[in-house]
Amino acid sequence: MSGAIKVGDTIPETVIGPFDAPSLARYAEVSGDANPLHLDDAVAAAIGFPAPPVHGMKLLAAFEPMLRAWRADLVISSLAGKFVQPILRGETVKLSGRVLRATEDEIFVRLMAYGAARAPGIIGEATLRPRTAT
Amino acid sequence: MPLEPPLALGPFRLRVDPARAAAFARETGGDGASVPLAYPAIWLAEPSLFSVVRDLCAELDVVPVHESQSFSYNAPLVAGESYDLSVTMSREDAPPRLTMLATISTLGGEPCARIETMMRLVPRAGLGSAS
Repeated sequence: MSGAIKVGDTIPETVIGPFDAPSLARYAEVSGDANPLHLDDAVAAAIGFPAPPVHGMKLLAAFEPMLRAWRADLVISSLAGKFVQPILRGETVKLSGRVLRATEDEIFVRLMAYGAARAPGIIGEATLRPRTAT
Repeated sequence: MPLEPPLALGPFRLRVDPARAAAFARETGGDGASVPLAYPAIWLAEPSLFSVVRDLCAELDVVPVHESQSFSYNAPLVAGESYDLSVTMSREDAPPRLTMLATISTLGGEPCARIETMMRLVPRAGLGSAS
């Protein structure tokens, strides 16, 4: 269980995307976030992006299935992220994680999402707990 | 530094729509077996709530840019269940930023989640023709 997890452990990288325009439109529809920046090439271009950025929340939410796949015996009690720079439509996204703190009761994980740029698109964190402790 | 006292909104009584939760899970890579942690993002985009943000941004002539987001749970949301969502909104000027703190409680008053949304307020004039 959580005792087998130690500081420095890495979560297997998950690759998602690239997301196309219909994918972003579907997310906008289901989430209610219809900001044209994510959907309209002209709006994105006016701000200086070669393509619309993917909704940050869509990417942050994608860490949840990655964490669940990593350890089904843990529950995720918190998930957070800073949207450092846009990840654009058409970019493949690499999600990764690394354990920063580990006790019997709580695992704290640093999360990163990278698009095509060298710098991360999202720097996040999650807290997981043994399923029986919740 | 806060510009004015925080604005309290709600509580709003909202339901986890099972079909929408499954669709949200699908669009974010999940299997739909449980309500996604980020599902309350849907509630924050509700017109009754987000219209306050939109109106404020129009008044200030700024665009909200999503800067950070967090979800912290005491208990998971359950598909088909209703909850009360209360929001406290506060604005700072250095840097220009809007913070929304939302709490989700069961109808019995038990807190089950806390959400923080931070948005940088970018002057519309700086966004070129996108404005």
